[in-house]
Amino acid sequence: MIGWVVRRVAASIAIVWAVVTLTFFVIHAAPGSPFLPEQSQNVSPETIRRLVADFGLDRSLLEQYALYIRNLARGNLGESFALRRPVADALADAIPHTFVLALAALFIDFTVGLALGIYQAVRERRVGDIVLGNVALFVNSMPTFWLGLVLLLVFAQRLHGFPIGGIADPVLCPRVDSGACVLDFLWHLTLPALTLGLVGAAGTARFQRAAMLEVIRQEYVRTARAKGLGERRVWLVHALRNALLPFITLVGLAFPFLLTGAVLVETVFAWPGMGLLAVRAILQRDYYVVTGAAIVTSTMVVLGNLIADTLYAAADPRIRVRERSA
Amino acid sequence: MPDLRPTRLVALAALVLLASCERRGGCTGEHCGTLVIAAAGEPDILLPPVSEFATTRDVTEPIFLKLADLGLSGNTVGDEDFQPQLAERWEWDAPTTLVFHLDPRARWQDGQAVTAADVAFTYDVYTDSLVNSPFRSSLRQISAVTTRDSLTVVFRFRQRYAEMFYDAVYHMRIMPAHLLRELPRDQWRSTPFGRAPVGDGPYRFVSWKAGQSIELAADSTFFLGRPHIRRLIWRFTPDQQVAVTQLLAGDADAIEVLITPDNVQRACADPKLACYPYKGSQYGYVGFNLTAPGDTTKPHPLFGDRDLRRALVLATDRERPLHNVFGELARVPPGPMSQLWWIWDPEIRELPYDSAQAARLLTRLGWIDSNGDGIRDKDGRELTFRLLVPTTSAIRRQYARLLQESFRTAGVDVQLDEVDFSVFNERARAGRFDALLNVWNTDPTPSSGFPQTWTKAGFGRSNYGRYFNPQVDQLVDRAVSSAANRDQARRAWRSAFDLLNQDAPGIFLFATENVAAVNKRFADVTIRPDSWLALVRSWRVPPDRLTDRDRVER
Repeated sequence: MIGWVVRRVAASIAIVWAVVTLTFFVIHAAPGSPFLPEQSQNVSPETIRRLVADFGLDRSLLEQYALYIRNLARGNLGESFALRRPVADALADAIPHTFVLALAALFIDFTVGLALGIYQAVRERRVGDIVLGNVALFVNSMPTFWLGLVLLLVFAQRLHGFPIGGIADPVLCPRVDSGACVLDFLWHLTLPALTLGLVGAAGTARFQRAAMLEVIRQEYVRTARAKGLGERRVWLVHALRNALLPFITLVGLAFPFLLTGAVLVETVFAWPGMGLLAVRAILQRDYYVVTGAAIVTSTMVVLGNLIADTLYAAADPRIRVRERSA
Repeated sequence: MPDLRPTRLVALAALVLLASCERRGGCTGEHCGTLVIAAAGEPDILLPPVSEFATTRDVTEPIFLKLADLGLSGNTVGDEDFQPQLAERWEWDAPTTLVFHLDPRARWQDGQAVTAADVAFTYDVYTDSLVNSPFRSSLRQISAVTTRDSLTVVFRFRQRYAEMFYDAVYHMRIMPAHLLRELPRDQWRSTPFGRAPVGDGPYRFVSWKAGQSIELAADSTFFLGRPHIRRLIWRFTPDQQVAVTQLLAGDADAIEVLITPDNVQRACADPKLACYPYKGSQYGYVGFNLTAPGDTTKPHPLFGDRDLRRALVLATDRERPLHNVFGELARVPPGPMSQLWWIWDPEIRELPYDSAQAARLLTRLGWIDSNGDGIRDKDGRELTFRLLVPTTSAIRRQYARLLQESFRTAGVDVQLDEVDFSVFNERARAGRFDALLNVWNTDPTPSSGFPQTWTKAGFGRSNYGRYFNPQVDQLVDRAVSSAANRDQARRAWRSAFDLLNQDAPGIFLFATENVAAVNKRFADVTIRPDSWLALVRSWRVPPDRLTDRDRVER
């Protein structure tokens, strides 16, 4: 088991390094200058020359890459051109917001998805199953940014039920230090989390329905019924427990979806997380912020998958046996 | 054993939350109020010498003072229309020597007195090549700033000209020498001071939450009088439309500019909002590249020809797209100028819209539609060019499409190059374009911006199309340097614009008229066009209009 984990960790580090390298070269190859922001067109050529030299962008790309990797090994992610602060500080501000949003979305994804999946399996081929199945398919095929815009338009702009973006009311709740401000924070979190979570939940429901239906036809379930157990107990205890096993993998797979989805959702809802930071950085050619965001995102995705694989391997010895024999 | 079923637990948790909702509020009287400003951009750093972002200017305006500030008239000539700030008075010792006497009551927010040494230090910082201030070139006519005593500072100029006083006071916000003297000059760009500044203005810095908001609080001991509004909060959004929506939803109290006619209609119809029109500082134009794309030594195959440029200007109906895009929120400018400039003069001669004359001129130049495809051609080459447009500007994209259609009817094929802004800017500076749809944000005076964009001094800088007419340059020099009185300057400027318009280096499409919207509970709202929050210190919320948000205590 330890050897298996070590091999997986090594592979994960290699993946992150590959992502960093690719991102570094792609963003540097993109046309446009990082020192000509839209807000200040009057920057003199001398100023640009000096900034290029100050940031070492006048060196060859390979030299810049070597320098970046050396700094990275020391924990230095560089300085943002546009934000005028260390990239690590900017990421440290943004990561918690993305993390909270992703967790809330994950919660909605799994609770709603699980409940719907079970309900559909129990009502297999009945009206409820068919209607919910089609609704889930519709929601699952919607782009997250579109769903976000619709929710924003209807519930925030038209019905005034929710705020138009942001993370908190800056007047009443500059800090989350009271019960009212916790509620205010949850109020701001609701629409972005729903946007991200509902699309995932639709997929989870379809997945869970299939898993439940597969399990319910197993012989041990028939045995449970034969012993005279009630339907509720058969479904929720015997069938659900076994149908939940693939869920561990789904948690790992949900991470990339949530993080990529967060880029769009954060932009729509002005949620100051990593997605919004990355989008702005790409538009401003803020090389080190883009690369820093890629490092964090790829690390989280790889870590999520690593944890899921490890848990799955721990839960199912056949995985380890297969790895060993390979 | 208490019953801990999940529903009861949830109810209990909600009860605890609600119970912890402390009652806020309590501020009453003239000095309450919170102004939440919806802003589409976020400052890069709160340090005026190293940033020229509009939002940086807005946020730092109430934190750092100038020696004196522009009056509501916007007159940049002479010193009579300027209002004292840090300097309580000033006099001219000699034609090129200006002496400021600082107000002895002025204090930094850490309690230290503001002294003449701070002013000399500030000039030194703004003009230091290591600091690389974007305002450095605006101070080039000042030869020295020295101190006479702790409250007297002397400015010496290289020559006498009409806007000496403006140059001395408008570009520099005075910095605290005692806090910044030790900071290495090459580190000003990213100093932590720029994220938590200590100023001398009516508001002090409270907090900056990256990507969310910046908060300032009124300094009740401010020497020029306590500000009425107790808190200023900028709330940042990814784009302007979200900012407008926040305003309409009541999540914000004010916005600098509503931009589109639709937004203006919605905001001005909202009973809780008041609209404030004011002169805009932007003008937009199609600029022709007079040199070959990427090679400034050769003329452009099309736009090197003055007559062809004139024909394209004559073929353009500028009123119709302006009405389609802006409604009443812009005017066709009589040349490359914003409405903010005092030289705005509808009498300036310009080429009219005359499609028949344009067609005749094109035909005379040999551009005829020989193959009947609707596009004129000459020597086997079609009359076609590419128009560079930034994707980030919805207005410019809309304009580009309208112009494309308008040119098509004149037999000219326009291909749109829509690129993101950093590519647009890079290509514009490198001269890699045929024509571009550009917008300039101007200073209150043409003296600084115009030479950079339309004379030889702007080659390699902001004169992207490399337009050059020695006579125009001479007239501009005369207007800038010898303008002892406004009439003389106005005549020189008018002659320069007349000549420039006849050369047709571009099609001058629009000069914006801004409309700000502010919640009606705010009274005494005055907007100075060059900097809309410059007078926010005098805005107030009358006690009978205070809301819970205005009264909230922290």
